[in-house]
Amino acid sequence: MSDPQADASRSAPLPHLQMVNVWKRFGEGERQTVAVRNVDLSIAPGEFVTLIGPSGCGKSTLFSMIAGLLPPDADGSVLLGGKVQQDGQLLGKVSFMPQKDLLFPWRTVLDNATLALEVEGMPKNKARARAEALFPEFGLKGFERHYPHQLSGGMRQRVALMRTFLFERDLILLDEPFGALDALTRAMMQRWLLDIWAKHRRTVLFITHDIDEAIFLGDKVVVMTARPGTVKCEERITLPRPRDGDIVTTPEFTSIKRKLLAIVEEESMKTFAAAS
Amino acid sequence: MNLSALARSPYASVVYVAVAWLVLVPLFSISPRYLPPLGTVIADARSVWPDLVAGFWRTLVETVLGFVAGTILGVGFGIAFAYSRLLERALFPIFVALQTVPVIAFGAIVVIWFGNTIMAKVVIALYLAFFPVAVNTLRGLELADPQRIALMRSFGASRLQLFLKLSLPTALPNILIGMKLAVALSIAGAVVGEWFGDTVGLGVMLLQALYFEQIPRVWVLIIACGLLGTLLYGVLAILERRYVWWRPD
Ligand SMILES: Nc1ncnc2c1ncn2[C@@H]1O[C@H](COP(=O)(O)OP(=O)(O)O)[C@@H](O)[C@H]1O
Ligand SMILES: [Mg+2]
Repeated sequence: MSDPQADASRSAPLPHLQMVNVWKRFGEGERQTVAVRNVDLSIAPGEFVTLIGPSGCGKSTLFSMIAGLLPPDADGSVLLGGKVQQDGQLLGKVSFMPQKDLLFPWRTVLDNATLALEVEGMPKNKARARAEALFPEFGLKGFERHYPHQLSGGMRQRVALMRTFLFERDLILLDEPFGALDALTRAMMQRWLLDIWAKHRRTVLFITHDIDEAIFLGDKVVVMTARPGTVKCEERITLPRPRDGDIVTTPEFTSIKRKLLAIVEEESMKTFAAAS
Repeated sequence: MNLSALARSPYASVVYVAVAWLVLVPLFSISPRYLPPLGTVIADARSVWPDLVAGFWRTLVETVLGFVAGTILGVGFGIAFAYSRLLERALFPIFVALQTVPVIAFGAIVVIWFGNTIMAKVVIALYLAFFPVAVNTLRGLELADPQRIALMRSFGASRLQLFLKLSLPTALPNILIGMKLAVALSIAGAVVGEWFGDTVGLGVMLLQALYFEQIPRVWVLIIACGLLGTLLYGVLAILERRYVWWRPD
C-alpha cells in the first residue's frame, strides 16, 4: 500500500512521449551533418507543447523520428507511453502533419480528409460520414466536393488539419502548420486550433518559428539551439485558458516574450554567423 | 455558339483545309500528280465506298486491339520496372534495342509466326505501342512525391496502398502521354502489318493504289488514316479531360 514508487507514479503520470538522448547524423566522415544532438524531452498526456528554434536546427528531423519515418541514431531512444519504440514501430501510431499540406490533387476535399481512415481500412462510407460531421467545425462546410486547387491556402491547411485529426491518435505532431499563412488568417487559425484542442484534448507537439504563436498556444515552449539542434530551455506558460487574442498585449505575455526573444535571438545569430 | 467561337473550333480547321485545297489547286494549276483536285478525290472515295468502309473498320479493329494490348503490357512492364531495379536493368536495354529494329523486319517475322491473320497485325501494332507506354509509366511512377510517401507511411500504409492511392494516380497523366504516342504508332503498325498480305484494310488499299499509281486513291487513304487517328486520339482526349485532369506538382 505504501509502495513509494507507486505513489510517485500516481502523482506524476507517465509521460506520453519521451525522448532520451536522441541524436541524428546524416552522411559519413568529413561530410557528416549532425542535425539533432542529445535531445531530452518529455511531454505529458494532453499537453500542448510548442517547439521553436532557428530554421535548419533539426525540428522537422525530430518530427520525422517521432513519426517513425527516420530511425534515431543508436545513442538514444524514443518512448511512447513508457515503451521504447524500435525502428518503424512508430509508423501508424502518431498523427503527423508535415510542413506542407500535401493534399492529393486528384481527391476531393472530403476524400483527402478521409485518407488516413481509408489506409486504416475503414469502409469508405463510414469514413466519409465521420469526416462530414467535422466540416462545419473546420469551416469547410459546402466544400466537400471541391478539389484542393479550388481552395485558398488557409482552407487547404484546414483540410490537412482535418485529415490529421481524423487519424485518431493521442499524439499529434504539427510542423509549422500556419507558417505560410498571412497574419490575419494565422491569428484566426490559432484561436480556432485552441478551440478544437480544448474539445478533443489530444497531446500536441507544435513546431513554429513565431514566438508569439509559441507562447499563445503552448502549455510549454521548448527552445532549440542552432544546428546541431538540442533543447536549450523549456519555459512553462501559465497564462490562463481559454486564451483569446487580447492576451498578447498583457504584461505577463510581454515579459515571457521578452525573455524568450533574447534566447531565440542569440541562437538565430549563431546560425547567421555560421552561414556568413 | 457564336460565329467567332465556331471559327476557332477544331472542326473549322477541316473547312479551312478544304477551302485552301479548292482554291489553291486551280490557282497555281498544280499537277494532279502532286495534288489532285478535291472533287476528284471525293469522287474516287465514293467509287470505292463499300471497300473503304470495310477497310476502315478492319484497320480500326486491328489498331484498337494492338493499342489496348500494348497499353496493358506497357503499363505492366512500367510497373514491374519501377519496383524491380533488377528487371529494369535486365530487360530495358533489350526493349531499347528492339525499338531500333525496323518495323518491317520485325513484321516479316511476325507474319511467319502468325500467318496472314488479324493476330499478326495486332502483334505488330502492339510492338510499336508498347514501348512509349512502358517508358512513360516508369517515369510517371518515379514522380511520386517523397514527402507524400512519408505521409502515407506515417498513416501505416502498406506497399500496395502506397501504389494504389499515391503512385498510380501520380503516374496517370504520364501514362496518358504514352498512350497518345501509342495511338499513332498502332495505326502505323496495323497498316504495315497489312502490307505483308491481306485482302481488306486501309493498308491493303494503300499498297494497291501505289502499285497502280492511283494518285487520288492515295489521297483518299491518307485522309482515311488521318480520320482514324483523330478519332482514337479524340477518344483519349475526352477520357483524359474527364478522368485524368490533374498534373503532378
Ligand atoms: N535526409 C537528409 N540528409 C542530409 N541532411 C539532412 C536530411 N534531412 C535534413 N538534413 C539536414 O538537417 C538539418 C536540419 O533540417 P530540418 O530538420 O529540416 O530543420 P528545421 O525543420 O528545423 O528547419 C538541415 O541542415 C538539413 O540540411
Ligand atoms: Mg522544418
